Amino acid sequence: VRAFAEWLSGTPPSVAIQSTVWLVRLLQATHLLTAGVVAVSGLMIALRVLGWQRADVPFEAVWTRFAPWLALSLAAMLATGVAQTLGDPVREFTATSYWVKLALVLSCAVGTLLLTRAARRAPPATGFSLAAKLLAAALIFFWVAIVLLGRMIAYDRAIWGGLSLRA
Amino acid sequence: MSTQSILASIEGSALADWMRYTNGAMPIVESTHVLAAVLLFGTVLIVDLRLLGVLDASRAFTRVSRETLPLTWLAFGVSVITGSLMFATSAQTYFGNTSFQLKALALLGAGLNMALFQLFTARGVATWSRNAGVPRASRVAGLVSILLWAAVLLLGRWIGFTKGHDFGIPPGVELVFPG
Repeated sequence: VRAFAEWLSGTPPSVAIQSTVWLVRLLQATHLLTAGVVAVSGLMIALRVLGWQRADVPFEAVWTRFAPWLALSLAAMLATGVAQTLGDPVREFTATSYWVKLALVLSCAVGTLLLTRAARRAPPATGFSLAAKLLAAALIFFWVAIVLLGRMIAYDRAIWGGLSLRA
Repeated sequence: MSTQSILASIEGSALADWMRYTNGAMPIVESTHVLAAVLLFGTVLIVDLRLLGVLDASRAFTRVSRETLPLTWLAFGVSVITGSLMFATSAQTYFGNTSFQLKALALLGAGLNMALFQLFTARGVATWSRNAGVPRASRVAGLVSILLWAAVLLLGRWIGFTKGHDFGIPPGVELVFPG
């Protein structure tokens, strides 16, 4: 992985990003703003299933309100994330936090879709199943972890110790 | 007591020492600060977009505000605590940093905007809370709020770009240089 990252960091697109300081900063700042919209949109959908947000309206209404924001901001977050990775592949690929974060982003995307399917099937009389509520709780934990891990990439050895890919 | 001596005493406090010399303290506190700031921005956005009449038009403003703001205040509280801990480690450097000063100004502006909204603009909230159309002053307050909180978040990131690095080494940690 390190060899691939080192090769990638020498390619023209990577060098172009590395040598444009304002672009790196703009990418990081945009990534941060979009992370806020992603995390909160994902949290609101999960919190609705737990009955802690907008319990007075059907799940569908909460989904219609937050899903487009989640999808668009997630796309922007991924685009800025890919560009940042391209700009500093060695730093990103050698961080355990980076790979765990990626796995959690994927899990949250799939998990939110599964949660929506389960929520739509839930009979109004009995409400959401225990499995759906457990999935919602896991998603809340994952969304929070994604944001934390994003910052922790800079401190991989301090956070992961011997498990850090930089160790 | 001068500002410099106050800042120096903050830097010399036991809390600052704990932050500096405890392995893992800085990464965990800083990551938690980012998490709180990001959640604060995201939840403020929900309330402000309702204030602008862009989203949740069929939901009363007071309701959106009541159900979202507890999360915002929680995030604000966590970001103040973690931000203070980070500030303590290098109070003099932060105090002299332009991005930090601008962030403090933006925070002050956001607080002032909220106070003015609560004191004056929101007085007649009962008359328009359920309407999709919101009075102009409220819409302005919503827009100003989004811009200021986005500025707080971005300037916070900018501190990291402009502050420089601290090279403090925790006691007991030996640096080994290759070769």
